[in-house]
Amino acid sequence: MHVPDGFLGPQTYLPAYGVAGVMWAAGLRRLRARLDAATLPRLAVVTAAAFVLMMITVPLPGGTTVHVAGIGMLAVLFGVWNAFLSLSLVFLLQALLFGDGGVTALPVNALAMGLVGSLAAVGAYGLLRRWSRDAALFAAGWAGTVAAALVMAGVLGLQPLLSRAPDGSPLFFPFGWRTTLPAVVLPHLVVGVADGALALLAGRFLAPQTAPPPPGRGPEAA
Amino acid sequence: MKDRALLLLYLAAIVAATFVHDPARLAAALAAVLLLSGRRAPRVLGRALRAAAPFAAAVSLGWLAASWWQERPAGAALLRLNLRVLLMTCLTFALAARIDLQRALGFSRTLRFALVLAVSQVLTFRRLHADFRLALRCRSPRRVSTATALRHGAATGAWFLRRAEHDAGEIAQALDARGFFLDQR
Repeated sequence: MHVPDGFLGPQTYLPAYGVAGVMWAAGLRRLRARLDAATLPRLAVVTAAAFVLMMITVPLPGGTTVHVAGIGMLAVLFGVWNAFLSLSLVFLLQALLFGDGGVTALPVNALAMGLVGSLAAVGAYGLLRRWSRDAALFAAGWAGTVAAALVMAGVLGLQPLLSRAPDGSPLFFPFGWRTTLPAVVLPHLVVGVADGALALLAGRFLAPQTAPPPPGRGPEAA
Repeated sequence: MKDRALLLLYLAAIVAATFVHDPARLAAALAAVLLLSGRRAPRVLGRALRAAAPFAAAVSLGWLAASWWQERPAGAALLRLNLRVLLMTCLTFALAARIDLQRALGFSRTLRFALVLAVSQVLTFRRLHADFRLALRCRSPRRVSTATALRHGAATGAWFLRRAEHDAGEIAQALDARGFFLDQR
């Protein structure tokens, strides 16, 4: 889902850096305030797990493949802020170490997947948790992916409206919303199922870490 | 200091590339990046092509088809888009590879700590993921079916979650034993 460098214009990524920068600073401040023996190692290791889970491809009918993003999993296990920081770190590493994604697309990817996706995931989880925890976990994975895809499709479709050459040809991503919405969102309705399954699996394996453990308790309390 | 300066140079070059729209200038910048890469140029170009090709090819083919259907020229826009994408990806592999991220992002102790832990785990997990993929290919005499690929993906995902849980516990205990969190307080 995440966009490489060269497809988003400065009219998009510069304001996005402004918004994401404020969010990153707030997230880091919150993380530092509750730094303990369990939170940071767990966040870093699950960041690495999210990174590698994005490498696991899911085959689709027709010979194409897609990959899970782990948005719902991270949001439910760690809360919105930590999921946002964790996914931002994943995109930074992907962009700078492996040339996947890009630094101009980083704030948009982080805001779409890390923030909007996490908010949608936690919202879906909160709505369904009382009814069935398993259904809530699955819905969190699905909603996180689909919400992020909607934002990405919106941002990509905005590019031809924002920047055009004097001859009318697009300077960056060339397709408008009529193309991006179905092309990006429809496949992610299926990817969301895989992400829902991942969130369900993770929710059963790993205990939620949204609340800090009481002071003085070591990692064995996690 | 050197790493932070290199990171700033890289970011400035990336931003500058998005303000250049003339294909000739983009091509000249791409040639300059490859020339400056010296003997690493073929490797930089190869890695950049492999990284950028899937998304760029899908967008380019789509735009080509739409332009043909609407009988409008597509050449200049396609050339500009692909040259820019290739230039920015080459810049990443040529410059970013020389940056020590942990030093460059050393302004925040928490961020640097999370980065060191995450990168070390990412490198281990990537190698393990490659091992799993190769193992599946080795034990499959024919092309892997969709059902097998799905089962393999699910089993790999579950394994990584279990491994992540285990590693997080181990690292937390190791840090606690060395007094890391006492230093933070």
